[in-house]
Amino acid sequence: MPRFLVRTFLFALAALALQAQQTEVVLSASSSAKLVLGMAPPKVSGIDEAQVATEFTAVLKRDLDETGVFAVLQEGLPAESAPAKAWKEAGAQWLLSVRLTRAAVGELQLEASALDTAAEKSVFTKPYKAERMVPLRRLAHALADDLVARLTGERGVASSRVVFIRQMAPGVKELFQIDRDGANLVQLTRHGSLTLSPSVAADGRLAYVTYKGGAPEIWGQRHRDGAHQKLYPASGSGGMITSPAWSPDGRRLAFVQGDRRGNSDIMVLDLETGRTRRLTDGNGINTEPSWNPNGTQIAFTSDREGGPQVFLMQDDGSNLRRLTGEGTYNASPAWSPNGAMIAYVSRFEGKFDLFIYKLGEGKAYQITTGVSTSESPAWSPDERRLVFTSNRFGSMQLFTTDLSGRQVVRMTDLPGCQSPKWTRGR
Amino acid sequence: MRYGTYLVPAAIVLTLGSLACKPPKTAEQIKQETQAAFNEGYQAFKDGKARTTNPYLSDKENPHKLQGWYDGWDKAKADKDAADKAAADKAAADKAAADEAARKAAADEAARKAAAAEAEKAAAFKKAADAALKTIHFDFDKSDIKEGDRALLQGIADFMKAFPAAKVEIEGHCDERGTNEYNLALGNRRAAAALAYLKTLGVDEARFTTISYGKEKPLCTEAKEACWSQNRRGEFKLK
Repeated sequence: MPRFLVRTFLFALAALALQAQQTEVVLSASSSAKLVLGMAPPKVSGIDEAQVATEFTAVLKRDLDETGVFAVLQEGLPAESAPAKAWKEAGAQWLLSVRLTRAAVGELQLEASALDTAAEKSVFTKPYKAERMVPLRRLAHALADDLVARLTGERGVASSRVVFIRQMAPGVKELFQIDRDGANLVQLTRHGSLTLSPSVAADGRLAYVTYKGGAPEIWGQRHRDGAHQKLYPASGSGGMITSPAWSPDGRRLAFVQGDRRGNSDIMVLDLETGRTRRLTDGNGINTEPSWNPNGTQIAFTSDREGGPQVFLMQDDGSNLRRLTGEGTYNASPAWSPNGAMIAYVSRFEGKFDLFIYKLGEGKAYQITTGVSTSESPAWSPDERRLVFTSNRFGSMQLFTTDLSGRQVVRMTDLPGCQSPKWTRGR
Repeated sequence: MRYGTYLVPAAIVLTLGSLACKPPKTAEQIKQETQAAFNEGYQAFKDGKARTTNPYLSDKENPHKLQGWYDGWDKAKADKDAADKAAADKAAADKAAADEAARKAAADEAARKAAAAEAEKAAAFKKAADAALKTIHFDFDKSDIKEGDRALLQGIADFMKAFPAAKVEIEGHCDERGTNEYNLALGNRRAAAALAYLKTLGVDEARFTTISYGKEKPLCTEAKEACWSQNRRGEFKLK
């Protein structure tokens, strides 16, 4: 977490405490209604205006558009001298004014305030300070997240990141990280071999499978920001190993181990004791474990009844039940951060589409459609979007979609991407 | 008589003493005697009578040997001996060198033969491995051994029996239609199916390792059945 964000968090806490009494508009996460936010042109001093337009204003607009709770209105209306009426007539419910300053010597300063155009009173005020060299995009992300927090009660995900696997050469895949807006690509591993199946703990620790020693092994971080080390098996070869998944508390790692008879089972490794426990019964393929948010249940894919289907069980292997009913190939379950939904993929005519199973309703909804495949869904931390892989523009790329499937946004332009995981922890 | 008891022993002592204390030869006398003896010996040598008449043949009778006047050195004989010895040494050295060279050549030959035999054996092993370790293929979403691949697996089993030291890794691969993780499990099942079949053909399963690459190492990357059917495969690699 960048240092300036810690500082802005403190400011945000103070600002939220002040504004707690005057909450007028709160949208629930499931609502499809959007608040229309007027964005006045930023007042800038000490920074090139063109740079602000591309690195701040455009980034902020895209961030807010993708939150799903704001509709951004950009008009050339005045922000000074009683602007509320003009913006209200243009349709804006809130008016966002920002002032960006970079002193000749010193820090980058952003003052943001939002005005409720109907009640003509301030709904949001927050000053941001950052070191001179911090990219403007990061300030835009912080502001977008705070505006979402002001509106919905939960921070947005503009500052979050996506960890994924990318092919470097045939047979060589490495772990990468990219900012949620598609900028700032960082290579996380250099094993020079197949590296697959990343999982990110809540605190940002990584776990993944690598074939660097010949046979697959689970590698990852025992401590936050720690060196990558082998986590399993402790010695020797463990056969086929895939799909590590951190438990929500970050103490256990569910994973899959295959035997020489062709079965594969869900296992749970306790990181402190190094002990493993087998949760499934060695009958067929069991893979792709995904924890529920309080770490008491695991969704997984199993072909015990024929083709692959999504099943649920307790974290001790009991209370097994099948979740998906329709379709011959349902796989890749991803339990949502709040626990009420499970995203998965279903295959039809050789390509996959994303589905969401709503546990409360006991029904599944199709998210993506089309002739291209959509695979490997992973939830955004705020549960408003999914990141997934698709070949709709040729090679496999990362995309995000809202839960209606109408707002699909391309995230990468890097061929050979797979297995994205969306995290606030890095 | 009274004085006789002293005089007679004194006279005896003096007479014996004077006889015993013969004055030593002077250097000049020795030189003259030696020269005379040398001349005598030289004459005898010239007359061809040295070996019988030379009085200095034995060290006991040659008081001058230490002075280097004559050390009995026979130049012709010495030269001949030296030549003989040199010749003998050379012959011995030549013989040793020849022996060594022959031994080395024999060793080299043996080593070369061994290496050639080894290489031939390795080449035969490699050739047999290449001939036997053929890729088998699977149907979509299936891990059953296909009828047409049984002969290939029999060939692998025969190879394993012919080369009891051979160890093989069985790789399971899948086509792109399936999730990454499920395909890793399916690849494991395909490798396990090949292993089980080889076991029924009488090969010790401990000589095989299995590994799944799922859909992560495709041979062909186009989205069509001709490509997918190549990718759904089991490969056999020497370990």
